[in-house]
Amino acid sequence: MALSKKIILVVVLVIVIAAAAFFYLQQQKAAKEVIVIGTTDRITDLDPASAYDFFTWEVLSNIGEGFFKYEPETLELKPALAEDYEVKDGGKVWILKLRKGLKFSDGTELTAEVVKWSIERVARIEGDPAWFVLDFVDKVEVVDKYTVKIVLKQPVAFYKAVLAVPTYFPVSPNSYSADKIDSDNTSGGIGPYRIVRFVRDQELVLEANPNYYGEPPKTKKIIIKFYKDATALRLALESGEIDIAWRTLNPSDIIDLKSKGKYNVIEGNGAFIRYIVLNTNIEPLNNKLVRQALAAALDRKKICDEIFMGTMTPLYSLVPAGMWSHIDAFKEKYGEGPNLDLARELLRKAGYSETNKLKLELWYTPAHYGSTEADVAAAIKECWEATGMIEVEIKSAEWATYIDLTRKKGLPITLYGWYPDYIDPDNFLFPFLHTGSNRWLGNPYSNPDLDKILEEAQIAPDKSRREELYKEAQRILAGDAPIIPIFQGKLYVVTKPEIKGVVIDPYMLLRYWLIYKE
Amino acid sequence: MTSLRAFIVTRLLLTIPMVLTLLTLVFIIMRVLPGDPVSAVIGMKASPEHIERIRRELGLDKPLWAQYVDYLSNLLRGDLGRSMIWGRRRVVDEIWDRFPATLELSIAGFAVSVAIGLLTGTKAAVEQGKGSDVALRIASIVAYAMFIPLLGMLLQLVFGVYLRLFPVAGRKSPIIDVPKITGFYLVDSLIAGNISGVVDALWHLALPSITLGIVLSGIYTRLVRASMLDVLEEDFIRALRARGIPEDSVLYKHALKNAFIPILTMMGLQFALLLAGAVLTETTFSWPGIGTFLVERIEYRDYTTVQGTIVFYALLVSFVSLVVDILYAYIDPRIRY
Repeated sequence: MALSKKIILVVVLVIVIAAAAFFYLQQQKAAKEVIVIGTTDRITDLDPASAYDFFTWEVLSNIGEGFFKYEPETLELKPALAEDYEVKDGGKVWILKLRKGLKFSDGTELTAEVVKWSIERVARIEGDPAWFVLDFVDKVEVVDKYTVKIVLKQPVAFYKAVLAVPTYFPVSPNSYSADKIDSDNTSGGIGPYRIVRFVRDQELVLEANPNYYGEPPKTKKIIIKFYKDATALRLALESGEIDIAWRTLNPSDIIDLKSKGKYNVIEGNGAFIRYIVLNTNIEPLNNKLVRQALAAALDRKKICDEIFMGTMTPLYSLVPAGMWSHIDAFKEKYGEGPNLDLARELLRKAGYSETNKLKLELWYTPAHYGSTEADVAAAIKECWEATGMIEVEIKSAEWATYIDLTRKKGLPITLYGWYPDYIDPDNFLFPFLHTGSNRWLGNPYSNPDLDKILEEAQIAPDKSRREELYKEAQRILAGDAPIIPIFQGKLYVVTKPEIKGVVIDPYMLLRYWLIYKE
Repeated sequence: MTSLRAFIVTRLLLTIPMVLTLLTLVFIIMRVLPGDPVSAVIGMKASPEHIERIRRELGLDKPLWAQYVDYLSNLLRGDLGRSMIWGRRRVVDEIWDRFPATLELSIAGFAVSVAIGLLTGTKAAVEQGKGSDVALRIASIVAYAMFIPLLGMLLQLVFGVYLRLFPVAGRKSPIIDVPKITGFYLVDSLIAGNISGVVDALWHLALPSITLGIVLSGIYTRLVRASMLDVLEEDFIRALRARGIPEDSVLYKHALKNAFIPILTMMGLQFALLLAGAVLTETTFSWPGIGTFLVERIEYRDYTTVQGTIVFYALLVSFVSLVVDILYAYIDPRIRY
C-alpha cells in the first residue's frame, strides 16, 4: 500500500516536471519573437474620433498613421499617408496628395473620399478631440481620387503638426460607424502594426501589418500587458514577465532599478508638464500680488529632489524647456526660488502679515497623477507656509469629483498636468491662457492683450515672429501668475538588457516598430 | 408542498426585497457621491455643450426618481442596462467577461483553504495539547488576521521575483493563446487540447489561490479541530479503533465525515467572504476579475455597471447559501425544513 502510494507520487511528480519543462521550453522559443510591454495606463476608446489620452494615442500611432509623422529624435514632420502636399492662400488651404494603393485591414483603399469621410466623422461625433477639426477646419473637399483639399477657417501656423495627431488618422468607412464612437474597434488605420487581440484592461496583442507601405517593424509581435499599479508593474519586470516597463513606475523604483544595474533605464526629456492653477475669480486669488507671492515662494528644486528623487526637473514656464521659444520666465521674475523675502514683501503689499495670515485651500487628486501627488501637495504647502504669512489647508478628491468641481469653478487652487497634443508652443499657451479656451480649467483668467498676442502667434507665418510673441506671452504669464509651473516630467522606460531601439523624445509616445530584442 | 420545497420558495421570495433594498441603497449612494460618469471619463477640454449632450444620451438629465424607475423597469425585464463609459457595453457582457476569472480564482482559493483547513485541523485535533497543536492554532489565527495584499506581495517577492518560480500577475502568459469558450482558462485550454495553456493557467493560479487559501484556511483549521475533537470522543470511533481499523481510515474516512456538517455550514457562510477576499487578491495580482472591475467602475461612477454587478453578487450569494442549506438535508438526514 505504502509502496503504491510512493509510485503514484513519483509518477505525478514526473508528469508535473515534464509539463513544466515542456511549457518552459515553448515559452523560451516564443519569447524571442515577441516583446512584452507592461503599463499601468489603460486604453479608453480605440477610436480616433474619441480618444484623447496619452496611452490610447500611443496605440493608435502604432496601428495607424496621419498625413505627417514625427521623425524619431529629430521631431521633423515627414510625409506619411500624404506623399506630397501644398499650402495655398497664405496657409488657409492645404492640399494633400495621398500615397496610392494603401489599404486598411478590411481591404478598403485609402482615397480622398475616405479621408473626407474620416475628418467629417470626427466633427459629426463631436468627441473630446473634435476641436482639432471643429476649431480649424471650414470644409474638406475631394479634388480627385487621391487628392484632398482642406480649407481652414483661418491660417494656422502649426496646422502641419495638427495633421499629425491621431484624431486625423483616416479609418475605413466599412469598419467604423459613421456617427457613433467605436470604443472597442480593433480595425485601426494604416500603420506598422495591426491589432490581433484586445482584452480590455488585460492585454493588447499587435502584429506587424503585412500591408504597411513603410519599413516593416523590427519585432513581429508586440504584447501590451496592463497592470493595476506601479508595484505590480515593477514585480512583473523583475519576475521576467515583461521585457519593458513603461508608464509609470514610482520614482523610487526607477532609482532602485537603476542602481541594480540589471536593467536598461532609458531617460528622455518629455514635454509633460505639471502646474498649479490659481482660480483668479476667487478671493484672495483675484489679487495679482497674492498670486505673485505664491509663485515666488515655490521651491521647485525641493519638490523635484525630495519627492521625485531627481526624476523631474524644475520648470519656469508653461512651454517646456528644450522647445523653441521657451524662456525661464518665472525664474527671470522671481529668481530660482524660493524667494521668501520677495514673497513676504508682496504679501505685505496685499495686506497680509504674520498675524493676519493669508488662508488658502489647496486641492489635489490622489491617484490620477500617481502616488506621489499627496507629497507634492504637502511640499507646496510647506513652501508657502515657510513665508510665515500663509496658512494652507490641503484637500483632496478623486478624479471624477475633482474635475467636476473644477469645471464648476469651485476649487481655488488645483494641481494639474498636461501632455501635449502636438509639438508646438501654441499647445502649451493658448489652451491655458486665451480667454474662453481656458474654461476647461475652471479658470476665468482673461487678459485681452495676451489674447491678441496668442491669436497673432497662431497665424503668423514667420517662425521668428512667432517666437518673439511666445516669449512675450510667457513674460505676461509670469507677471500675472494665474498658473504657476512646477516641474517638467522626464520619461523613463526600464527594459531588459537585450531590448534595443527604444526612443523617447518630446513626442513621448513609444514607437513600437523601432524596438527589437538582440 | 413538501417542507423543503416550501423552504426553497420562501428563500427565493425573500431574495427579492433583499436585492431591492441593496439596489436602492447602491443607487442612492452612487448618486450622492460627487462627480458622475461623464465627468470621470470625458476629456478635460470637452465643452459644456458636449458634456450636456452625453448626459442626455445617458439619461442623467432626468430627475433621480425617473432614473430609478427606468432602471427598475429594465431590471424587471432582465436587462441590467449598458455601461455608461468606454464603449457602453451591456453590463451583462461586462460581467460575463470577468466573472469566470473571479470564479476560477475563488474555486482554487476555496479548494486550497479547505485542504489546508482539513489537514491542519485534523492534525491539531489528533495531537491535542501537544506543541504542534498549539503551533497550528496560533498559525490559524495569524492566517485569519493576515492582510491579503501583504501576504500576496510577500509571496510575489519570494516566489515570483527572487525564486522566479511563479508569475506575479495575470491569468496567463502573454505568449499563450487561449480560445474563449467558457471564459475559464483551465477549462478552455483543456477543451482546445492546449496542454501549455493548462499548465500556464495552473501556474498563474498558484500564487493568488495560495494567498486567498491561506487567509481563508484559518477559520477552517479551528473549526475542523473543534469538530473533530467532539467526534473523536464518540463511541463509534472507539469501536472502530477496537476493531483494528487503520488510524488514517478512522480519521479521514469516518471521523472527518461526521465532523463535516459544521464545516459545510461555514463553507456557505464563507462564500461571501471568499468573494470579498477575491477582490483584494485580484487587485494584488492584477487578476482581471469582477472585483478589480467593480472597484475601477466605482471610481469612474459607472452607475449602471456598479448597480448591475452588485445585483449579480447579491443573487449569487443568495443562490449559493440556498444550495448549501439544501445540501445539509442530504448530508444530515436529521435536518428537516
